[in-house]
Amino acid sequence: MSTTVTLQSKVGVFAGAALLRLVLFAAFPSLPDLLTGRVEISTPVTSFKRLQEGLFLYNHNVSPYDGGVFHQAPLLLPLFSLLPDVKNWPIFTALLYILVDLLSAYALLVIADSGEAGQSKHFTSPRRAKRSSGLLVAAAFLFNPYTIASCIGRSTSAFTNCAILFAIAKALSGSPFNSMVAISFASYLSMYPILLLPPLVLLAYDRQSDKRRIDSAVQFSLRAILIAATCISLLLAMSFALTGNSWDFLARTYGIQLTLSDLTPTVGLWWYFFIEIFDSFRAFFLAVFWLHLVIYVGGLSIRLRTQPLAVLTILLGIFAVFKPYPSISDTSLFLAMLALYRHLYPIMRYTYVASATMLYATFLGPAFYHLWIYAGSGNANFFYAITLVWSLGQSLFVSDLTFAVLRDEWEVERPDMVGKEIRQI
Amino acid sequence: MRSLLSLLLLIVPSVLVSAADYHEQLNLRPLPLSALLASFNFRANTSLADFEAHNFRLFPRSLGQILQYAGTRELHLRFTLGRWDAESWGTRPWDGTREGGTGVELWAWLDAETDEEADEKWLTLTNALSGLFCASLNFIDGTRTIRPVLSFQPEGDHPNSTLQSTRLLHGVLPHEVVCTENLTPFLKMLPCKGKAGIASLLDGHKLFDASFQSMAIDVRPICPSEGECVLQLEQTVDMVLDVDRSKRPHDNPIPRPPPGHDLICDTTKPYHQPGDACYPVDHLRGQDWTLSQIFGRTMKGTCPLTDAEVPPVCVHIPPTRDIFASEGAHEIKYSDNDSMRCYQIDQQQEFTLILTNTESTADGVAGPLGIVKPETPVLYAERSFTGHGQEHGGVQAILTNPGDDPVEFVYMESLPWFMRVYLHTLSARISASSPNVNTSSADIIKEIYYRPALDRARGTQLELLVSIPPHCTVFLTYDFEKSILRYTEYPPDANRGFDVAAAVITTLEPKVMNIRTTSLLLYLPTPDFSMPYNVIIFTSTTIALAFGGLYNILVRRMVGANEVPRAAFKDKVLGFIEKLKKKRAAVSAAAASAGGSARPAVANTEAK
Repeated sequence: MSTTVTLQSKVGVFAGAALLRLVLFAAFPSLPDLLTGRVEISTPVTSFKRLQEGLFLYNHNVSPYDGGVFHQAPLLLPLFSLLPDVKNWPIFTALLYILVDLLSAYALLVIADSGEAGQSKHFTSPRRAKRSSGLLVAAAFLFNPYTIASCIGRSTSAFTNCAILFAIAKALSGSPFNSMVAISFASYLSMYPILLLPPLVLLAYDRQSDKRRIDSAVQFSLRAILIAATCISLLLAMSFALTGNSWDFLARTYGIQLTLSDLTPTVGLWWYFFIEIFDSFRAFFLAVFWLHLVIYVGGLSIRLRTQPLAVLTILLGIFAVFKPYPSISDTSLFLAMLALYRHLYPIMRYTYVASATMLYATFLGPAFYHLWIYAGSGNANFFYAITLVWSLGQSLFVSDLTFAVLRDEWEVERPDMVGKEIRQI
Repeated sequence: MRSLLSLLLLIVPSVLVSAADYHEQLNLRPLPLSALLASFNFRANTSLADFEAHNFRLFPRSLGQILQYAGTRELHLRFTLGRWDAESWGTRPWDGTREGGTGVELWAWLDAETDEEADEKWLTLTNALSGLFCASLNFIDGTRTIRPVLSFQPEGDHPNSTLQSTRLLHGVLPHEVVCTENLTPFLKMLPCKGKAGIASLLDGHKLFDASFQSMAIDVRPICPSEGECVLQLEQTVDMVLDVDRSKRPHDNPIPRPPPGHDLICDTTKPYHQPGDACYPVDHLRGQDWTLSQIFGRTMKGTCPLTDAEVPPVCVHIPPTRDIFASEGAHEIKYSDNDSMRCYQIDQQQEFTLILTNTESTADGVAGPLGIVKPETPVLYAERSFTGHGQEHGGVQAILTNPGDDPVEFVYMESLPWFMRVYLHTLSARISASSPNVNTSSADIIKEIYYRPALDRARGTQLELLVSIPPHCTVFLTYDFEKSILRYTEYPPDANRGFDVAAAVITTLEPKVMNIRTTSLLLYLPTPDFSMPYNVIIFTSTTIALAFGGLYNILVRRMVGANEVPRAAFKDKVLGFIEKLKKKRAAVSAAAASAGGSARPAVANTEAK
C-alpha cells in the first residue's frame, strides 16, 4: 500500500515539475529568450544563445572554434543539430531540457534513498533517522526557482549537473564503471567536475558491490582513474574528429576557463577581479584562484574520509562560489545536495543569516544589474557588490554545512555533548 | 661635343613625353542646398621599368621606396571626414570608388606566398605609411585587419601569375581624425607641391571645414594593350563645401540673419504677406561665388609639368548660367555635354572664376535653382544601432533600391572583436510597402562569407552578397553582445564609446560603384576605473573569509564550551588585571581610613 502511495507521489512530483516547466515554456514564449540573456543564468561557457551561434556556424561549415563566441563542448553540436530548429520548434528543445531536469531529480532520488547521507561505510550518524526522504529531495530540486530559471533559460550546465548527479548515484549503487563514465562526461562538458574525482572514487570504493570487489584501495582508484581517463580521451578524440581534425576546441572550451579571456559578468568573483587586476599580475592571480579552487579537494577528502558524499556536497558548494564562470544553476545543484542533509539542519548555526543573505542578493542582483547596464544610474560596483554578498552568503552555507557534518561526526564520540554549546580550539 | 649635344637633343623630347604623363583637373559641381562639390584629381604615370630602377621623377620617392620595401602591388589609402548626403546630393563623385569610411582606410595587394609573410609586410607598410602621412596607421593591427574575399577587386592590370602570389589586406581606423597634418604630406607628393596649379587652392582651413571631404591615394599598375606597363599614382581630393559658410568673412565668421528686404519668400504659403509673414526659401536660391571666396585664395597658374591637353578647371553648370573667368583664361565648351565648361589657363597668371547669381524675378519669387540636377544613386544605404542598454544590441542596415533594375551588391563589415556578433540572428526583411513583399530572406542574401572574431586577436569579417528587387527597401539586421574589457583596454575617454568602421557596399549590378555608410559609436559597459585596489582587496577578503572559515572548521578540535582550557597568556593577563584591581582597592581603603582629603593620605604613605 505504502509503495503505491510513494510511487504515486513520485509520479506526481515529476509530472508536476514537468508540467510547470511546460506551462512556463508555452505560456510565455518570450521568457526563455529573456532568461537566456540574463547573466545570472547564462555564462559564456553555458549560454544557450552562444550554443545556437555555434550550432549555426557548425551547420554552415564554419568552425565554431575559430571564433570568440562559442565555448562549449563540441559533442553538444551534433546533439542539438538533431533537434528541429529552435526558432520554429522551440518545444523540442524545451522537452530535452525538461527531461534532463527530471533525470537529475531521479538521480537525486536514488542518492537520497541510498541513505549515504546518514550512514556511510565508516560512519553512522546518530541523527540519521531524521534524514529527508528521496521524494522531498527531488521535489526540492525540481521546484527550486533557481533550477526552474536555469531550465527555462536553457543553460547547458543542466547537462553537467545531470552527469554529476548520475556519477554520484551510480557510485552509490555500486557500479563504479558507470560512475566514472558519467563523471568523464561532466568533466568533458565543463572541466571543473574532474576535481570531484577523488571523493567520487572514495565513494565508489566504499560502496562497491560484493560480487566484484577490489579490496586494494590503490588498485581500485587506479582502475577508476584509468576508466575516467580512457573515457575522457575517447570523448576528446571524438571531438577532434568532429571539429575537422583540429585541437582548437581545447583552447576555446577549457582554455577560456583557465585564462578567463571573456570577462562577461557572472554571479562569481572572477570577472570583476580580472577586469581590474593589473596586467602584470594577471597570470599570477589566475594561478592563485585556480589553486584555491583545487586545494579544497585534497583537504576535504582527507578530513572527511568517512563521508565522501559530504565531501562532494561541500565541493559542489565551493565550486558554485569560486569557479570561473558560476551561475545560479550551480547553486541549485548545491542546494539540491544540501537537502540530503536535512538531519543536520538543527546543528547548523547560520542557516537563517545565510539564506537571508542569498535571498537579499537574489532580489537585489537583477535590480543592481539593471541600474548599471540599462538605467545608467549605477556603475559596475553595484553589481559587483551584490556578487560579493551572494558569494559570502553561499560560502557561509558551505562552511556551516561543513561544521554540521564535523559536529555530527564528533558527537559519535561524545554523545553527552548533544545539544550543548561547543567551541573549536 | 657635337655628339653629346645631339644626345641631349634626343633626350629632351623623351623627357617631354614623360612629362605629359602627369595631369591634374579640378571639377566644380554645384549641389542643392548651397553645397559645392570640388573634385581635385592628380594623376601621374611612371613606367614600371623606371620605378624598379629607382628612377623616381613624377612618382614621389618616399612613397615609392615604401611600396618597394613592403612588396606592394597595389595600394589604396583614404582619409575621410563627414558624410555624403546621398538623399540631396545624389551619386557620389567617382561612383564612390575614391572615398573611404570615416577616418582612415587602407587596402593593398601585397606580394606574399603565405599569410604570415603578408602580415609581416602589412606591418611594415602600415608603420611606414604612418610615418609618411602623420596618421596613426600603425594602430592597424591584427584586430583591425581583414582579408576581404568578395568586396575588393584589383583596379590595376596584374598578370594572373603575380595575382596568385599576392594577398589582399584591408584595415580601417574609424577613430582617426583627419586633419591638416595629413594634407601637408599629401600635397608634398605632388610634382608641384601645391605651389602652382589647382593644388594651390587646397587650404587646410577650407578643406577640413567642408561638410564632406575625402582624400584618396591610389597606386596601381596599368598595362595598356600596346606599350609598356606604367605605375599610376592617382591622388584625389573630393570636398563638399558649404558655400554660405565659405563666403563668410574670416574676421566676422558668425552667421547673421539677412535683413528683411533681402529675404526670398515662398509666396505659395497661405500665410505669406509681403513685409510681414514670410517662409524663407534661402536654400532654393541659386549659388553665386568666386573661386577665391570659396577656397580662400586664387589659383596660381598651372603646374608646368601638367599635360597641356587636359584643361585644369571644369565647372558643371547649366548653359544658361553666366561664369566669368579671369583674363588670359580660355573657355572650352563641349558639344556633347552642354552643361560642362572647362578653362585653359595661362601658366603664369593667377586665375579666378566668378559665378553670378541667377536672375531672381522682380517680385521676389525664387528663380530656378540653376544647377545640374544630381543623378539618383543606384542604392541608398544607412546603418544604425538598435536596442538599449550596454549588454545587447543590434545593427540595422536600411538599403533602398530606388531604380527599376534589381541591384546586386556585396555588403561588407569589419567589426571590432569586442562586438560579439550572433550571426544566427542575421535576417533580411523587405519593407511592407515594397512591391515584392513575399521575397524571403534567402532570396535577398545570396551568399555569406563570415570570419568570426577572436578575442584580442582579430575582428569580425562579414561579407554578404545581397540582391534587392526594384523599388524595394531591405532591412538587414543582426544582434550582437557588448563585451566588457579589461580596464587597461579602455581608452582614456571610455564613456565616449568605441568607433565601429563603416560598412562598405560594392554594387555589382547594374554598375560597379561603392557606397560607405557612416561609422557608428559603440558604447560598451565600463567598470569603475577608480578602484582597482578596492576590488582586489574586497574580492581577496571575501575569498580569505570563506577559506579561513572553512579552514578553521576543518583543522580545529571540537570541545564543549565548559571544557575550554585556559590559555597561558590569557591567564597571565587576567592575573595582572586582578593584581591591579587589588592594589587599587588597597590604596582606596587606606585613603578612606586616613579620612578627608587625599593630601594626608599621601603624607601617610610617605611617613611609612
